[in-house]
Amino acid sequence: MSNQKLYKGSLQTIILKLLATHHKMYGYEITQKVKELTKGELQITEGALYPALHKLEADGLLDIEVVKVENRLRKYYKLTEIGTKETTDKLEEMQQFLKTMQHLVNPKFSLE
Amino acid sequence: MKLTKNQIDELYKFTRKHYVYHYDVQSELVDHLANDIEKIWEQTPNLSFEDAKNNSFKKFGIFGFMDVIEAKQKQMNKRYKHIMWRFFKEWFTLPKVTTTLVLFLSIFFFLKIQFSEYILLGTLFIFLIFDVINQFKNRKIQKEKKGKTEKIFLLEAMIGNTKGGFTGITALNFFNFVNLSHINFSALEIHWSIIVSLTATLLCILFYVIHYIIPQKAEELLIETYPEYRLVNNL
Repeated sequence: MSNQKLYKGSLQTIILKLLATHHKMYGYEITQKVKELTKGELQITEGALYPALHKLEADGLLDIEVVKVENRLRKYYKLTEIGTKETTDKLEEMQQFLKTMQHLVNPKFSLE
Repeated sequence: MKLTKNQIDELYKFTRKHYVYHYDVQSELVDHLANDIEKIWEQTPNLSFEDAKNNSFKKFGIFGFMDVIEAKQKQMNKRYKHIMWRFFKEWFTLPKVTTTLVLFLSIFFFLKIQFSEYILLGTLFIFLIFDVINQFKNRKIQKEKKGKTEKIFLLEAMIGNTKGGFTGITALNFFNFVNLSHINFSALEIHWSIIVSLTATLLCILFYVIHYIIPQKAEELLIETYPEYRLVNNL
């Protein structure tokens, strides 16, 4: 819980990756899914999730679908074509970042 | 336990009380709160609706819904500019480009007339009066609508009122600029005349698009932007 700041910059990548796997999701579902997948280690706050979703939507990466569920409206988000491409790029960036961090925090010593 | 229709209405009122005035933003937050309240009830079934609602709202942090409202406004500004550009561009393709050319040449030759700045000031002034009347009418319509349904979408409000910032105030600024600068347009060198005429032409088109074309196509644009628009308005 104390290292939430470290996750902050990766929020968009997390959202995109989730949508790539689950086709379409609504806001609350995303928060719950992240909590479940990380076993409570990462909790996306509401105040951060929706602004991130709205930004991705404005950038044309997400498309929306609204369905009436029980007695209320539910807004689903799904990836657009550009969004799918961006997800691949962002995941690659993330892999690169993890690799670099790995090198930095856990350098392999050699005798040379 | 599931939320009742009345409780959902309560949540809409709650978002309004916390400065969320537009239906599209409200709906998403209401669904979020409703899901969270239902989840809270799974763990503590005896908690009252009020308490569960407040617990859920606390998760949004000290700024409440402010961050969400701000992000949504930014997103919609981007969309509005995109729409504006879409209609603006049309004036530079056939057949409308002929109107643009005629307008440009008219302004260009008009500026050559002596004392044209006074005629320009007069025109701007008349435009301003029309804009004020128009704004007044629009506000009244929106107010009536608000009283009746209370379902105003953010983009709808932008088309009707704020117009992406290009309201009569912008025209008033031009009025002041022309009035205070004391430029004698008829004595300007040709390249300055062209620049002034071109700017005036572009501004005329922009105002026309924002004040007439976009409001005329409002419903079409709202349906395109909001999948729920038809659902809510029973179209």
